Formats: sequence, structure tokens, C-alpha cells
Amino acid sequence: MAFYTLGLTFNLVIILTVIVLAVWVYGIYFNFKKWGLGSTGYHDQLRNSFWLFLATWIKEAFKDGVWVFIRTAVLDVLLLRRTLARSPIRWVMHMSMFYGFVALAALSGLGLMIDIVEHFNLMGLAHEAEIWKEYLGLPFDLFGYLLLFGATIAVSRRILLKFVRDNTTAYDAFLIGAVFLITITGFYAEWMRGNAFLVGNMFEYPIYAPHFALIHTILALGLFAFVFPWTKYIHILATPMTLLANRGGE
Amino acid sequence: MAEKSKPLMTGYMISTQLMEIDGCNRCQECMKWCPTFAVRPDRPGITPMYKNAKWRELMAKNQSLRAKIFGGKPLNEDEMKLFTEDVYYCTTCGVCGTVCEAGIKTVDLWEAMRPNLVDRGNGPYGKQSFFPKLVKADRNPYQAKQEDRLCWVPKDAKVDESGEIVYFAGCTAAYRQQALGVATVRILNKLNVDFAMLGKDEWCCASAMVRTGQREVMAEHAVHNVDALKDAGAKTVLFACAGCIRNSTVDWPRWYEGYIPYKNVPLSVFLREKIRKGEVDYKIPLNYTVTYHDPCHNGRHLMHEIGKDWAFEASRHCIESIPGVKFKDMLRNRELQRCCGAGGGVKAGIPDLALDMAKARVVDGEEVSADVIASTCPFCRRNIMDGRNDAKSSIKVLDVVELMAASMGLDTTIPENPYTKFQEQDVLVCGPTTCTVETVERKAPGKDLVGEAH
Repeated sequence: MAFYTLGLTFNLVIILTVIVLAVWVYGIYFNFKKWGLGSTGYHDQLRNSFWLFLATWIKEAFKDGVWVFIRTAVLDVLLLRRTLARSPIRWVMHMSMFYGFVALAALSGLGLMIDIVEHFNLMGLAHEAEIWKEYLGLPFDLFGYLLLFGATIAVSRRILLKFVRDNTTAYDAFLIGAVFLITITGFYAEWMRGNAFLVGNMFEYPIYAPHFALIHTILALGLFAFVFPWTKYIHILATPMTLLANRGGE
Repeated sequence: MAEKSKPLMTGYMISTQLMEIDGCNRCQECMKWCPTFAVRPDRPGITPMYKNAKWRELMAKNQSLRAKIFGGKPLNEDEMKLFTEDVYYCTTCGVCGTVCEAGIKTVDLWEAMRPNLVDRGNGPYGKQSFFPKLVKADRNPYQAKQEDRLCWVPKDAKVDESGEIVYFAGCTAAYRQQALGVATVRILNKLNVDFAMLGKDEWCCASAMVRTGQREVMAEHAVHNVDALKDAGAKTVLFACAGCIRNSTVDWPRWYEGYIPYKNVPLSVFLREKIRKGEVDYKIPLNYTVTYHDPCHNGRHLMHEIGKDWAFEASRHCIESIPGVKFKDMLRNRELQRCCGAGGGVKAGIPDLALDMAKARVVDGEEVSADVIASTCPFCRRNIMDGRNDAKSSIKVLDVVELMAASMGLDTTIPENPYTKFQEQDVLVCGPTTCTVETVERKAPGKDLVGEAH
């Protein structure tokens, strides 16, 4: 499989994964600590504490009980009710990007787990693991197209709608452009392998497929660890946390 | 040696509010609804999306990873001045929070940003800085005497000193829009409601202080007013002022540590109950097309506290109950209404902005061919009247209570008092079978030191 080519070995991939995860976790910790610069209540003193931010968030999120928390998680975080109320098109865009992004991330994690099983032949399941990996192909394609669909709407509205275009900063353009680029490179890498979903062998170029896959992987991991926690992308985490803390803003 | 630049302060921000700023996904929805941006389209910086981005940027100068590794950067004071302006170019109307996809509680957020700017020496804005001094000195923002709180009450009216129902009139009804106070008292008397008023023990609700980030007087006023209401034996407190009921419901409990035994009730809700029970007897039809302007303070600010029926529908039901009235909603209504422009200290701090916003609201009223814009907020009324006068529109601006009192055939003549010369409100003049509305002339600029105080 094209996972480990161009000098990359399994061990190197694991080390890189650990580094990426460590940077990401530190990024999240850094943000929580920054948010902890606030107080814990209307009149409370500043504590400057990572843990007190978490405590404050939990207190706010569960203020009206577990049922309200669950209702908010389902209606506002998972189904984006507030977005739907304002703009059905933006709702389709966000839902596509959100579920495409989350599913691809989860599938990537699952793929890595299966790889580990295969590499170490854990419980003698190496052969089965290889078969499981094949099964991941279709969901990868489906959720990839979903993300591509959402990203295309996002880019299109920034270009086509005057009001949106006028208020798009370079920052917005970079971030949406990055998502679009990662999605496109992922598809192109897949198409170059040949026998791809929907396009068949139209873009087949197997010699360079690993190179493109590597570019896609580097971009995706870079976005995940080096951009997401440190830029506007943190809204991917902060928005659902805000919705939960404010009980859906209601 | 140059003085060291103060960093951006976070002292009044709850940690989840700092998170909310990062939760803004820049969807631009707030920009479409922001009433200040609508009249200042050349200043996108005043919209929530840009304010959040700017706060992030300013905070990053000392709190980003880069700042942690290489050291923080001093804040540029010109940049801070502009950011302060942007934060204060906001009436805290809260429509941005209503439409926010991320569910950010924007009103609380702006009200938490402002005291940090005040502490840093950047805020408040313009004449807003007079609020605390005036209110601390006189217990009202109009430099009026506390002993005169009830000077407008007609001699034949029955007002108790204590009782289970207390009418909290507010400073504006007491000193500047006494027609509202008189109408309220007359209606309650007519309905045989035994009620009390606090008189000189009624202090300013201190709304303007909280809205503009000057919280220092708040504690004293909140505690005093709650204690005075408790001492009067209140079980139900009636408010005909949107700013007062907002503060009494949301802000005072934040500052009062003890048990609060009474319920805050908008006067329109109380009167609707009386209408439903058939106790309200109208005599004179008002043949006007009336529209209703939802005040932000008892609408959006309270809809999650008291429910949308109390916040939005009760006043409409009161208007619709008046014979002869043809009621029409403006295009933007209820939780999506357009702010009149008076709130958040804008009327005092940035009067030209307040005026332009009021004119936009007058246009909203004209678009539905309304003869009268009715409201339940003396500040909205004042500002919309100013906008109407500036736009030379023929539209009238009245309070819902005054419409009801006129139709009930009640005598709402304001007794002569030391503040008669300050009374500038459209008034209903009624004969035995018909009423007409008299329009006031434009208010002379500079009469009130700080304008309206909410």
C-alpha cells in the first residue's frame, strides 16, 4: 500500500503522529489556559487557571440540567439548529463540511489503528486488518465528496455573493482556501491511483500518487496541529463549546 | 522613559466569554442585522464579528504563543482608541446574539468588555462619563431632587406607601415623561388596584452604568432598590420602563445577595390580565393605525427570562384591545426588531448615531403606513420622537399605557410641577368621543446634560 513510501517508515509515521498529536493537545491546552484568564463568575476574582476554565464551562453547560445539555448537544451542536434558522444554504454547507471533516478525521484515526494491528500482527489479525482497510475506501470517498461539496459552497459564496465577498478578509480566504486545497489534493491523490470512485482511471498516474498522497497528508496534519489550535479554526472547538455553555444561546 | 503600555484587561470577562470570542465563526449574520452598522455602513469595525476579531488580535499581542516565546508587544493607543469607539458604537440591543450561529451571548459580552476598557482608561465614551457622578450625587441622572419623585402624581390619585403591588416608575417617567406616569396611575386607580410607590426611596435603576461599563454605582443602587421594595412589602413590582425592568430582573440579582421575594411584571402583562378579565372599560375609539416598537430591554434582553409571550405579545394584545385601533407590525419585529438607537449609552455618548438609528426606525413605521409608533420604553420613545422630528415625519410616538388611558377616557393631565418645562412628549388630547395626538417640537439640544440614561 502507498502508506509508507518516499522514505517514510512505519516507525517514522508513528513518531510523526505522536508529535502532531502532542502539538495539537498543547494547542488546546494553550487555548483553555488563555480562556482561563477570565473569571469564574460575574463578580469573581481572576484565577488564571486552566482547570478553573474547565470548571466554569462545566458549570455553565450543566446549569439547566443534563437534559438541556443533551438537547443542546443534539439540536444545536449536531444539527446546527441556529444556522438552519438563519440560512438553509449555509446550513447545508456547514453540515457537509462538519460531518465530512469529522468523519474523515475519524476514518483516518481508524485507518491508523488498523495499520498498527496489521504491522504488529496484534492477536494474529494482520490479514483481517488488511481486508478491513479495503472496506474503508468507500466511506473515505463518500465523506470526502461531502466535504468537497461543503467546501465548494463555502468558496463559491465568498466569491459570488457581494456582501460576503466584501467582508471576506485575507484571513478568511486563507482558511477556507486551505480546507479546499486539502480536500482537492486528497481527491487528486486518490484519483491518481486509478480505479477511483466516480472518475475511474481518468486521472490515473500511479507513479506519482504516493507523492501527492504525502503532500495531502502533510497539509492535513499541518492544518490539524499547526493551524487549527492557533487560528480562527479554533472555532471548530470553541463554537460547540459556546453553544453548550450558553445552552444553545437560549 | 516612556510609560509602559497597559495590556488588554480581562478582569470582567468570564472565562467562557473569552471562549465565546474564539467561537465566532465569522458567518457575517450579525452584520446583516446590526442596526448601528445599517446606518454606519462605512464602519464594519463596529459589528460583532469585527469586534471579536479585534479583541483576539489585541489579546494575542500579549497572550499568543509568539508573545509567550518572544515577549509581548505594547498595544498601540490609537488602535485602542478606535477599538474603544467600536465597542461603544453599540446600543447593546442584542440582535447579534439572537441571530448568532454560535449562540454567543453578545450583550453580556459587550457589557463585560466595556468595564475593562474603562479600567484601562479608554472608556467610557463622551458624556457617558457623567452618569456615575450624577447618579451618585442625585440618585437619578437628571439632576432632579429625590423629594420630587412623586411631584407629578395628581392630587386625587390614590397611591400607597406600602403594599403588595408596587409601581416602580423610573427616573424618566418621574422627571421627563410624566404623561406615562400619570396614565399608569390613573389606569391602576380606575381598575381599583391598590398599589404603592417608593417616592424618594426609588433610586435610579442604574442601567446606564452597567450598559456603559461603569459598574461602581451599581451595587449601591441595586441593594437599595431591592431593600426598599422589600420594605414596602412588594410581592409584585410593576414596570412601565423597559430599562428598569431589565435591570431589576437581570442586574440587581447579580448584586443583591439576599432573597428577593417579589416578581417583576411588565405593566402591559398586568393590564392584559385585566383586559382578559373584562375589567378594562374603553370609552373612546382611537382611529389610528398603530404599530409597536419592541424595546430591546424588555424584549430580546428578557425573552429567555420571562418568556416570549410576556416579552413580545402582551403589549400587542393591549394595543389590539383598544377600540378603533388598526394594528400593524413593522417588518422587523419581536426578537428581530430594529433597535431605536437610544440604548447602551449611545443616546448620551454618540447622539448623532442614536438619531440616525431612530430615523431608520421611523422609516420602518412609515413603511407600514402607521400613524402611531407605540412602545413600552420611555427611552425608545424619546429617541424615536427625536428621529421623527429630525426626519420631519408626521408619525406620532406614544406609550401603550397612554393609548389605553386615553381610550378609557381617563384624565391624564399632568399637574404643574418643577419639571413641567421639561415635558416634551407627544400627548393625546381627548374630548368626550374622540382623541387627537399633539406632536411636540424638537427638543432643544443640550437641555439634559447626558440625554437619556439607558
